[in-house]
Amino acid sequence: MSRGIGRREFFRSSGAGLLTVGAALYPRDGVSATAAGSPASPETSADYKCKWYEFTEHKVSDTCWSLSVGPDGRIYAAACAEGVPGGIVKLTRYNEQKDALDYLFDLDKMVDDPGTSGRATQCKIHYSFAPSMHDGIMYMATHLSGPPIDQPAYSPWLSWHDEKRCFRGSALVAFDTKTDQVKWWETLIPKEGCRCLLHDEERSLLYAISYPRDHFIIFDLKTHKRRDVGRIGSINAQTLFLDKKHRVWTTNDYGHLIRYDPEKDRLEMSPYVLPHNEEFQTGWHSVFYDVAPAPDRESVFAATWIANSYMMRIWPNEGEWPRVENLGPNTQKRDPSVSRDTFVDHCGGLTFAGDGQLYFVASRWRDPVYNPMGPEHKEREGVVWRLNPATLEKEEVTCLVHPKEFAQYVSRGAVDHNGDLFFGHVGSRPSGIFKIEMPASRKRENAHLPIRMWG
Amino acid sequence: MSQTTTPRRRRRNIDYNSPAVQDEVNNITHGTFVKQGTMVAFPTCFPGATIPILADESHITALDKSRQGFIYGGTSGKRAHIFVGMFHGVTGMILDMKAVDDATQCTAVCCGKTQVMACVNGPSGGGRILAGNLEPWPYDLIQEWGFNRHPFDDLGEAAAGEPIVHAVADTSRDHVVGVTTHHLFTVDFANPKIQTVGEVSGCGRLALGSKGGVFGCDGAGHLFRFDVATGKLQPEAFKLPDGHWSKTPAVWARVAQTGLLYTADDDGQLFSFDEERGFSASLGKTMFAPVYCMAATFDGRVFGSCGDGIAKLFCFDPGSRKITDIGVAVSLFERRRYGYVFGDAVTGRDGEIVFGEDDDGGHLWLYFPRIQAAKA
Repeated sequence: MSRGIGRREFFRSSGAGLLTVGAALYPRDGVSATAAGSPASPETSADYKCKWYEFTEHKVSDTCWSLSVGPDGRIYAAACAEGVPGGIVKLTRYNEQKDALDYLFDLDKMVDDPGTSGRATQCKIHYSFAPSMHDGIMYMATHLSGPPIDQPAYSPWLSWHDEKRCFRGSALVAFDTKTDQVKWWETLIPKEGCRCLLHDEERSLLYAISYPRDHFIIFDLKTHKRRDVGRIGSINAQTLFLDKKHRVWTTNDYGHLIRYDPEKDRLEMSPYVLPHNEEFQTGWHSVFYDVAPAPDRESVFAATWIANSYMMRIWPNEGEWPRVENLGPNTQKRDPSVSRDTFVDHCGGLTFAGDGQLYFVASRWRDPVYNPMGPEHKEREGVVWRLNPATLEKEEVTCLVHPKEFAQYVSRGAVDHNGDLFFGHVGSRPSGIFKIEMPASRKRENAHLPIRMWG
Repeated sequence: MSQTTTPRRRRRNIDYNSPAVQDEVNNITHGTFVKQGTMVAFPTCFPGATIPILADESHITALDKSRQGFIYGGTSGKRAHIFVGMFHGVTGMILDMKAVDDATQCTAVCCGKTQVMACVNGPSGGGRILAGNLEPWPYDLIQEWGFNRHPFDDLGEAAAGEPIVHAVADTSRDHVVGVTTHHLFTVDFANPKIQTVGEVSGCGRLALGSKGGVFGCDGAGHLFRFDVATGKLQPEAFKLPDGHWSKTPAVWARVAQTGLLYTADDDGQLFSFDEERGFSASLGKTMFAPVYCMAATFDGRVFGSCGDGIAKLFCFDPGSRKITDIGVAVSLFERRRYGYVFGDAVTGRDGEIVFGEDDDGGHLWLYFPRIQAAKA
């Protein structure tokens, strides 16, 4: 692979890093997936006003891996600093009155693990916001990779046995959105980070995947006891999702569905490989990147992490193993003889909006052979797409506009209670989030409901 | 919320463009993993033709090598399995020979001349011994194949109500000698009936000595010796060297040519053991403890796995008498996987070390040590 934009180089040169989203339990009465699908008059890209909100109060932030709607219908975003020695994550929230971000707290201070500790730092929240609707709590769990303050890089494998350097562990924080207070925190996973988090509210359980060991973790919110169910593989899936039977789903290294069934208390693997590009992929690394639940909770839409990500719809409540519809690639064709940078070829930010349509952001880039875009286009673009779940038709909505950087990498997306779209960005320093103001015809009150219960 | 006192460190001025910092970053990222030699993780299946053993039934906890160089193994987890791996000739596969119902742990597999015996424990009752035929060479596994699962005989419990701790085949491969939590037993491959030898406290693995004796821990301070030919059990035959021996079950490596054994105490202190000369002084200490498994290659070097959570590989070189950190296991060929926990190790046909991964989705890991440079 070209050393053009490796992970560290990407963060340093453009100032950036990754993100989250969720939805699940609460069926929305009286709204069908096809409702409000089409506006009264033809729309243009100009009808979708895009605004950039930089993490101005966290200038060394390089990524926004987590962006989710909270139980209060407001947008929460993690201002992460993973490429910065000693870097820490700050929790932010979009303030619609000020049309600006509020900075709620520095997470390292809140969990008594300061960035100056000499250990790997509490540098980010990685797809690990999970709301709790009955009490207004927003759960969040931290992830690792930020180097100690006096080291240029951090390897969790290298430092596993090093008490002075090893990450203390993923901190689970219960933030009360009604009082803006942290009610409690715990170490969710000692020595490891939390890649993604899910809340099964009816059963008071949090589910997580650890990094680097890729273990499936269950945390009981009533007893505050953690249980390690076992290892999945080597490549973290970036999302968990929940079905109506309280089963938790994810993927393994080879693109198979993995299911945790509480009735059996074991991880099971589907015999089938998820959709991938059979020209140059095998299913390896086709792990979930982002999964959004359809409003009726009968299916989910999922995008894979590997470059040349595929979109699919999965019906988890059907059959022994779910029906999976292959909805094709999310990004453009390319020379199959050379791999694309996963920070350039990417799809994320899957979220259903108030109009019952799926929105997501997929990258597009200039390629002299496969995509010779004209000068009106930037070298790399983040395209906002809309997918109609009834017809599976896909249309381009608009492009994200960043004042200085390319905007092709979106980690997570969410819709706030007003029905506007938000996306977390990876690729600038300071990092930040995008807001897409939706046309009035596509907005509705409490558009964030039913809420996604995973990051 | 817990409160801790955290020392503060100062930010270091890091120039990411400097070659020294780039080297440092590369060393942190890549220097962590297998620093010498090559590891290949092989799935517990016939790739492309069968599925692996279920992930939570595939913790590999027992290994042995047959005379034809096949690797026999046993798994632990929700259900134990007995398998054979073939990596020479036109093979390249692992055959799941048997899933053992009511067994959740396999503590030993022992290869005889024509048969294999496996020791398995379940959630209740005593450990049982299963005996089956060794797998013959298949046809060319790139062309055509067909495998059947052959029945295993259940020889019953080795000692009523007692789990089996370990067992080994003796040097003749005519007998299995095993130990439960309180008894030593033997089984004759030709006449497979379990015979109780006497009482011992089985707190770790057994090993074959340089003169054919079978050794195991006798309490926390000694080794017993059992002579298969005479049937004589000698308690407290050797005193364990100074060290800590109470926490970690014994593990061994054996140099095939000399019969020299290696073991490690709770702290990872290595010692060699010769049946005639006894224990050496401490040969050094592994980076982390405990040592979970180790095996010796043909030139006498010992390779093993140590440390909890994310184990690291080590090498003891008897020539330099140094223990080297080889790093974290990683496989880059075909299977791209990290290796964190290893339950057993055995020396393969050509001196490669075969590690059994004691983890969900466990693989057999073939480690090919670095070829040592000739001395000028």
